[in-house]
Amino acid sequence: MNTRPNNSPHSWKATAGLLARWILGGAFVYLGATKALHPEDFLKLIRQYELTQSVLVLDSIAALLPWFEIACGLLLVAGVAVRGAALVTLALLVPFTVAVWHRALALKSVLAISLCAVKFDCGCGNGEEFACRKLVENLIWIALATWLLAGGGRTGCLRHTLRKSNEDEPTA
Amino acid sequence: MARNILWEGLLVACVGLGFALAANEFSPRGLSLTRNYFPVGRILPATTPLPNTNSVGSTNLTVAEGVIAELQANGLQLATSNQAAAWFTDPRRQTAKIVFVDARNEEDYKNGHIPGAWLFNPYEEEKYLNAVAPVCQAADKVLVYCHGGECDDSLSAATELRDVGVPGTNIFVYAGGMSEWLTTGRPVETGPQNSSQWLNQNP
Repeated sequence: MNTRPNNSPHSWKATAGLLARWILGGAFVYLGATKALHPEDFLKLIRQYELTQSVLVLDSIAALLPWFEIACGLLLVAGVAVRGAALVTLALLVPFTVAVWHRALALKSVLAISLCAVKFDCGCGNGEEFACRKLVENLIWIALATWLLAGGGRTGCLRHTLRKSNEDEPTA
Repeated sequence: MARNILWEGLLVACVGLGFALAANEFSPRGLSLTRNYFPVGRILPATTPLPNTNSVGSTNLTVAEGVIAELQANGLQLATSNQAAAWFTDPRRQTAKIVFVDARNEEDYKNGHIPGAWLFNPYEEEKYLNAVAPVCQAADKVLVYCHGGECDDSLSAATELRDVGVPGTNIFVYAGGMSEWLTTGRPVETGPQNSSQWLNQNP
C-alpha cells in the first residue's frame, strides 16, 4: 500500500482520486466483460465501422479488445501501474471516440436527423445508446484517464508506479 | 518522468495483450483470429436504415434488390414471407425434405425459434455443422434465417452450408427473419429443438 503522508484518505482530492480510479477501472471491467461474453456480437458491431478489410485485424480487435479492457480496468481498480494503465486506456478511448463520432455523423446524414437523435449500438458494451450521450460519457472517461495520467488517484494503490524516478513527486 | 510513464504504458500493453490472448484461447466463446467470419458481403450496407418489418413485403425495393443481387452472386435464393409460411405448413417439412435453419446464437434460439428449426450459429460452426450438414444435404429446400433487418448471419450460415455440399439452388435465405415471423403471429417454439414449448400457439 502507498502510505505517503500527503495521501491522507481524509483529503477530498485523495477520495476523488480513489473514486476516479475505481469508476474508470470498474467501467472498463464491466464494459469489457459484456463484450467478452458475446464476442461475435462485438465482431459484427465493429465491422460496421469499416475500419479495416483485414480478417486478422478485425478478428483480433473483437477477440482481444474486451479482455484487454478488463486487464486495464483491473489494474486501475487495484492501483497497479496506474499512469501506464491510464495511458493505455486513453490510447483506446481517444480513437474509439473519434470512430463513434464519425459513425454517428454518417447515420445522421443518412437518417436526416439531428446528431443527438441518432441512436445506435456503438459496440461499447451498453447496447443501443444516443450518440450525444455516448460521446459525453467517453469525454468523461477521457478526462478521468487524463487526470490519472497526470498523477492523480494515488490513494489506496497497491503499487501506483512500477519504476520510481527522482522526479516522481507524489500528488493526490 | 514521461519516459517512465511511456515505459509503464508499454508494459501494461504487453501484459494486457498477453492476458487477452490467454483469455481468448481458454474462453469457450473465444474467436479464431484468422477465420473470415464474413465470407460474403453484407446484405445491407452499414448505414442503411432498417426496412419496415411491421408488414409483410413492405421492404424498400432498392434494399430488396440489393439482397437478391447479393444472394444471386453467392448462388443462393431469397425466400419471401409467404414462401416461408407455405413451407412451414408443407408436409415435406415432417419428412425433413424441407428444413428450417436458425442462424442466431443459442440464447436467442432458446428464447424463440421457428418450430423444428435447426440451430446453426455460423460463429460456432464446429459446434453445429456435423449435425446440421447431413440434414441439409438430404433436404430439397433449406430455409435459413436470423433476426431479419440488418442481420446477415443467415447469409453467412447459408454460404457455409453451400460450402459443405448443400446445393445453392436448394438454399433459401429468409431475409425477413425472426422479427417478421413474430410480427405475423406465426407459431414460435422456445427451448431446444422440438421441445413442444410454445411462445404463442401450437402449430
